[in-house]
Amino acid sequence: MKSIQLLALSALILLFSACKDDELEAQTFGTFEVEFDNRVGSEAISLEEAGSQNYSYTTASGQAFNLSLFGYYISKIKLEGPNGELYEDEMKVSPHADEVKGFYQVLQSEPASRFIQLENVPAGTYHRITFTVGIADEGIQDGAAGGILDPAEGAWFWNWNAGYIGIAMEGSAQNSGQEEVVGDGWTIPAKSFALHVGGWKDVPAATGEEQRFVNNVKTISLAFDSGVRVGEALEPNAHIVVDVLKLLGNVDFSTTYSVHVPKAGQPFAENIPAAFILDHTHQ
Amino acid sequence: MKTAQKYAHLALSWVCIGMLFSCHEDQDIGLDNTYQFIRPAHFPEPVYTFENNPVTKKGFELGKKLFFDPILSRDGSVSCNNCHIQGTAFADAQQHPLSVGVEDRRGTRNAPSLTNLAFMKEFFWDGGVTHLDFTPTNAIESEVEMDESLANVVKKLKAEAAYPPLFKEAFDIEEITSPYMLQALSQYLAMMVSADSKYDQYVKGEAFSKEELEGLALFEDKCSACHAGVLFSDFTYRNNGLSDTFPDEGRARITEFAGDIGKFRVPSLRNVALTAPYMHNARFKTLQEVLDHYDTGVVDSPTLDPLLKKRERGLGIALSEDEKTKIIAFLHTLTDRTFISDTRFMNR
Ligand code: HEC
Ligand code: HEC
Repeated sequence: MKSIQLLALSALILLFSACKDDELEAQTFGTFEVEFDNRVGSEAISLEEAGSQNYSYTTASGQAFNLSLFGYYISKIKLEGPNGELYEDEMKVSPHADEVKGFYQVLQSEPASRFIQLENVPAGTYHRITFTVGIADEGIQDGAAGGILDPAEGAWFWNWNAGYIGIAMEGSAQNSGQEEVVGDGWTIPAKSFALHVGGWKDVPAATGEEQRFVNNVKTISLAFDSGVRVGEALEPNAHIVVDVLKLLGNVDFSTTYSVHVPKAGQPFAENIPAAFILDHTHQ
Repeated sequence: MKTAQKYAHLALSWVCIGMLFSCHEDQDIGLDNTYQFIRPAHFPEPVYTFENNPVTKKGFELGKKLFFDPILSRDGSVSCNNCHIQGTAFADAQQHPLSVGVEDRRGTRNAPSLTNLAFMKEFFWDGGVTHLDFTPTNAIESEVEMDESLANVVKKLKAEAAYPPLFKEAFDIEEITSPYMLQALSQYLAMMVSADSKYDQYVKGEAFSKEELEGLALFEDKCSACHAGVLFSDFTYRNNGLSDTFPDEGRARITEFAGDIGKFRVPSLRNVALTAPYMHNARFKTLQEVLDHYDTGVVDSPTLDPLLKKRERGLGIALSEDEKTKIIAFLHTLTDRTFISDTRFMNR
């Protein structure tokens, strides 16, 4: 019985690899780089120590603030071209760190994380990029995951309402209502803020009822000004600006300084589409 | 050629899938099924993602070791087994109505029994966790439970001589990481299937006493709209009238919807005779008190379940003393001695 099973399986594997080879012959591939350039309005971001009261930026409504942490998850990257060109970044959840695919955490504190290299993109011309900010159900419902999704390795995970925080913005603001809190081995500095935008459950409201759950995972689709060619020996790039001022919108830090549930994060999630801007592409 | 290949694929994959599944059926007598997840024939399909985490003897044994090891808590004083004890179908000890963690810190909820978890889509009284793998982290990182960080647990496991070889054997990994620790725990937890109570024997054709039969009929009439099916829960969130003030908002904490304040998951009633005290806040010490509650104690509030408002006069479910006795007799048939004495789960 066991050996039949093995035989059947190996036949299956052989067949699958045969198919793949056929397809490979016709295609050539290239790379594509996606660069996320985080800014506050027109200024570059320089992070402060948590609790620092050195305020370098002001919100649209004139509130002075700084940032000590800024980052977000990107997943499900897709490139499309005018003639049916299509690249979908492979997505895989696995406990094995090396096997996790298609999830990226862009962290202001880690410059290299701002560059995402897509490999094996079919050669052709592309004119649109689509990606998800945050982690939708497929990143959660497969269970414990490693690497970039491992909470023990720094992944941003809510235990009590299981799911990943899609965007985190932390810092201090001149008028923040936060008072100092000293816990067992941790402190929340006075005047600080922590805005954690999460929540992925998407359950349509029953007729006549209010919406339950808030889904703060957003899909962004950006058109390129002109087609970008991918192919051997080419190094194309899309430069995407992420504007913290737009994410913050008309936040009032005096009342909004501690956001740790989906509903409170919703106003920021609604700002995501305006905050992710295609600046330019490189050929 | 291409299409022929495709059909061959299809045919073969069905053969393979067929073979894989055939190993998981109840009837597979003669093989050693000790560390196979077996769906009882009268149960629904499991929802746990076994395809990502197949149960093996090594993985299960590692999960068990972790479950009993206080290394998972900050000060090495509390293991999962402190609050989930096999003798009470992995609910809390009865002297702990609300859970007790490190430094005797009190939790705010009663630890539920851990059974038939592989069939459940959502966990905890409020359903905030949607995958079994993520349940242990709540206990480990809760200040009132184990008060430890996942990262530090991993660090301690790496430094403890016994663990790296066990992870290597179970998962073929050189370095311990948190997802594998969670998968090992899930293997142990998912195997906790309780399906051999007197009630299960009755379903398979054994006899019930007259009182038990009458109790079953009453239960089906008065309780099974919520405590439904073979798992004795429809896994919805409802307010069964414990109070009109809700310091613990229950389901609303997760849905952020005012209409869910005071709603909690309908708990399974399997092994319920062993899992006192009852309700999320451990309100009642005995099943008699629970039935008295449904009969005379139900309190009105905006989210009270409509099923408890159907009486001509008053709220709740009309129950005579005789009916209560019979329902309690029936509830005792849900006790599964095979499960609570199953040596696979014991720390030997
Ligand atoms: C201090 C007591 C305590 C400890 C220690 C503890 N738990 Fe729990 N457990 C609870 C309580 C209380 C709940 C219910 C919590 C809630 O609903 O919010 C629970 C719920 C659960 C559930 C969900 C059950 C269901 O039906 O939804 C699982 C699974 C679980 N615990 C597994 C574990 C594991 C594994 C460990 C060890 C890593 C552990 N617990 C340690 C008290 C504890
Ligand atoms: C309207 C739905 C509903 C009906 C009908 C109902 N229950 Fe419940 N039951 C619940 C909910 C919800 C809980 C958990 C409430 C909580 O903890 O806040 C519960 C809890 C219980 C518990 C406690 C279990 C534990 O582990 O703590 C028992 C026992 C119980 N019910 C028995 C019964 C019996 C017997 C009947 C019929 C007489 C009945 N229930 C009818 C919804 C219902």
